[in-house]
Amino acid sequence: MKDQLKILVLDDEPIVCKRLKPALEKLGYEVDTFIQSVEAMHQIHQTSYDIVITDLKMKEIDGMRFLEEVKKQHPQTEVIVITGFATMETAKQSFRKGVFDFIAKPFKLSEIQEVVNRAAAKIKGAAA
Amino acid sequence: MLQYLHDLWKRIKRPKPGLVAFPEIFEHFQELLQNHQRVMELIADLGEKSGGEYIFDRKYLADTIDEMHTRLLHMVQGLNLITSGRYLELHPTLDRIFVPLESELRGRLSLAGEMPRIVSLAEAPLDRPELTGGKANNLAVIIQNLQLPVPPGFVITTRAYRLFLDHNQLEERIHAWLESWAAGEQDERQTSRQIQYSILAGVVPQEAATEIKRQAGKGGAYWAIRSSAYGEDGELTFAGLHESLLNVPPRGVIQAYKKVLASLYSPEALVYRQKMGMLGEEAAMAVLAQEIVPSRVSGLMHTLDISAEECDCLVVYASWGLGRTVAEGRGLVDRFVVERVYPHRIRRQEIAAKKTLVRPQTGGGEEVAQVPQEEREAATLSEGQVHQLVRWALTLERYFKRPQEVEWAVDQNGQCFILQSRGLLFPKVAAPPKQDICESCAQYPVLLRDTGVVAHAGVGAGVVAQVSSDLDMNRFPEGAVLVTKYTAPWLARIVPRAAAIIAERGSAAGHLATIAREFRVPTLVGVEGATEFLKEGMQITVDTKGRIVYDGRVNELLQYELVQSLAFEDAPEFRLLRRLLSRIAPLHLIDPTAPDFNPPGCRSVHDVIRFIHEKAVEELMDLPGLVKRFKGVHIFTLVSDIPLGLKILDLGGGIAPEAAGSNLYPEQIRSAPMKALWEGLSGPGVWSTEPVPVDFKGMMSSLSKTWAETPGAATVSGFNLAVITETYMNLHLRLGYHFNLVDARIDPDPQRNHIYFRFVGGVTDLTRRSRRAQLLANILSHYHFKVDTKGDLVVAKVLHLPREDQEHRLRVLGRLIGFTRQLDIQLRSDEDIPEFVEAFFEQNTPA
Repeated sequence: MKDQLKILVLDDEPIVCKRLKPALEKLGYEVDTFIQSVEAMHQIHQTSYDIVITDLKMKEIDGMRFLEEVKKQHPQTEVIVITGFATMETAKQSFRKGVFDFIAKPFKLSEIQEVVNRAAAKIKGAAA
Repeated sequence: MLQYLHDLWKRIKRPKPGLVAFPEIFEHFQELLQNHQRVMELIADLGEKSGGEYIFDRKYLADTIDEMHTRLLHMVQGLNLITSGRYLELHPTLDRIFVPLESELRGRLSLAGEMPRIVSLAEAPLDRPELTGGKANNLAVIIQNLQLPVPPGFVITTRAYRLFLDHNQLEERIHAWLESWAAGEQDERQTSRQIQYSILAGVVPQEAATEIKRQAGKGGAYWAIRSSAYGEDGELTFAGLHESLLNVPPRGVIQAYKKVLASLYSPEALVYRQKMGMLGEEAAMAVLAQEIVPSRVSGLMHTLDISAEECDCLVVYASWGLGRTVAEGRGLVDRFVVERVYPHRIRRQEIAAKKTLVRPQTGGGEEVAQVPQEEREAATLSEGQVHQLVRWALTLERYFKRPQEVEWAVDQNGQCFILQSRGLLFPKVAAPPKQDICESCAQYPVLLRDTGVVAHAGVGAGVVAQVSSDLDMNRFPEGAVLVTKYTAPWLARIVPRAAAIIAERGSAAGHLATIAREFRVPTLVGVEGATEFLKEGMQITVDTKGRIVYDGRVNELLQYELVQSLAFEDAPEFRLLRRLLSRIAPLHLIDPTAPDFNPPGCRSVHDVIRFIHEKAVEELMDLPGLVKRFKGVHIFTLVSDIPLGLKILDLGGGIAPEAAGSNLYPEQIRSAPMKALWEGLSGPGVWSTEPVPVDFKGMMSSLSKTWAETPGAATVSGFNLAVITETYMNLHLRLGYHFNLVDARIDPDPQRNHIYFRFVGGVTDLTRRSRRAQLLANILSHYHFKVDTKGDLVVAKVLHLPREDQEHRLRVLGRLIGFTRQLDIQLRSDEDIPEFVEAFFEQNTPA
């Protein structure tokens, strides 16, 4: 239980948060979810997360600013970006730096679980 | 390939003026086929998304519908170019189907004109709780999907409520009263009194009133009138806040309806809504009218013991008479504690001394009476009744994915009914302490991991029951895990009884997957070796979300799913998707000779593309005629011992490049589906040229029948045609009086594969031809085709199988075409059918 990795999920579509939380918890992660970027922003100043999963296109702030802030606060945090299928290429180009991986919507639960597991392996590898 | 086509067409003479150029027809036909394929994929995609394995948003839905619309517009244009504009009326058909789809996406349909004001539970639309309210929506699902006995009833929908407010100009007044309460100018009692008075004084619009009277007059003598507000029985509960009126005579239903509406604004309900921050939202109330079961016994069941004494048990509470005794805690009641696991042993039964009961009062209403002395200490339910109720409760829980609170009744004849089912509310402390679910699961041995494709996401546990034939189906225990080699369509019947399904073959877009989603049964397909690893009678837990199968019953996981995780099926996005799918996926147009096989008969997107495909193929079927008009198109004649007179038109890659002249030899065929079919058709012993023994009736019929009786027969100039590419075949074969159509694709990607087979006609009387249709259906379904028959028409299809399975089935079809060539003459009675099926299987290994 002690070395449980912490994950933050930010997506303004509630369905994404509601589905991801149990799916990741079952893999043994501790998961906090946010649909409001303001609250998520506040949270990353309070707590450090091992993995952050964020959508790129949201109503209030864009995912890019959030992502930059995450990296500024905790450079070692691995960031996974969710993006619409159409904007995948642009997203990859503009964010290649510092992003662990990209996932296009709609995606399978097993896909994101696999990416998160890879990120976790990287973190544990770095710690060892 | 396009270049090849262009070159080919350049060599062709210009057609007569007024006709579409022949090369264009083919280009349009090819494009039409591609669009058809793509729309089928989009439909399959949407179906797959409804299984819960994917996370999607509204944008995905909007984009998909948009692409579908564009493709269909192209298909309609294409068909009209091919047919010189004979199907222009498909344009309004598209509008009729796509306008509501687009309104659904914008969320603007719920109160639109097509939604009913009053509708019976048996006909109420599912997935529209905003129209019928949570309570009625659940009941409609229980009746229509789960098929459990529920007393008949009807819903006065939220649309009727809106019309009632409009009719009496109440909306603004209510709003004003609520505002002055919120501003502290009035207390909730005054506010409530004003609103309730104006509702009770309101007039139900004439049309609605007539319909309510008609529905109320249909059924039993007395009605229960209850609220069915949206959100009620859902995440927020208004249980007990809104009025329920029992034992209402038909003439009192309208007054009772208004009383229930008024209870939306009782002081308690107002305070509750304010506390929940819902006052700003418009309240809309649907009202449920249900026939009263004059119950001898009634009560409640909890699928989870809230007292948490025994978390592996359900609890049944029962008392004599009508339901209020239990629901309102009026007196001592019987309590049965029953194990959740089959065979549902009754662990304890506490029989109370029951002094009073509630019973219907003559002339309406109800009264409290004394329980006769001899019944006071008697058990209210027999063991059989307890088991029946418990099985139903678990079925409800499996479907709704939440612990349930179920109201039930037993009538004077001892027959049990479900009255209500809703999510059970329990204090968080009652749920077991949250432990790390990952660690708990890790203690169980894993039987299978990371294999298969998710057709429906979820968790289910039970004993393994392997099914490979119809006989096994009758033995299938309620709540078992179905393990099977194929996702054959005939398995559909046991899907609702399964706790989970694991199939070795099949795809997430297949028929069984669709049914599994309808009944919300966790399902994995494509799990190789499942029937080997998962032995009959083993107790297993299937987690399709994690694609893991555990040995044993993982209670922690089952509990976690029931209590902690979201039932994705009830999320608004999934409801929207299912509503869209109900206008997209169902296929109603099956028989091209039916009178409603026309644009007005198209009710779904699937119908439209089916219609267009059929008509385009029909046009192509007249190719023998067309080809004559367009001399110079290169059509090969297949040279073989089998007298088919088969002509072959290659649209690219279907034949060996060295083929020249007008003759083609079977070994020069490169088209994968054509090759496989030909192997079957030309196999040893298939094409029997022996004369068939004909009995008198068959012979007379053969003799007296003329060509003209078979539609189109007289106009066909005696040749059969196959249009092929490397991966595709469309074959039209007229043999004697039988007409075969095989349309098939074999692609490296199984998702693109299909075989469509149509068989019609015959020389003998209709009874015998139907008999042959039965025989074909029988054989084809053994090869996992989905078969529809109508008279002597057989339509069979199979989707998404890998290459070798496709080839196997096409070889079988080839043999079958040979086998049945003159079969109707030989089939003298229905009893002959099994014999011929056997004969066929003797020569051909069933799949």
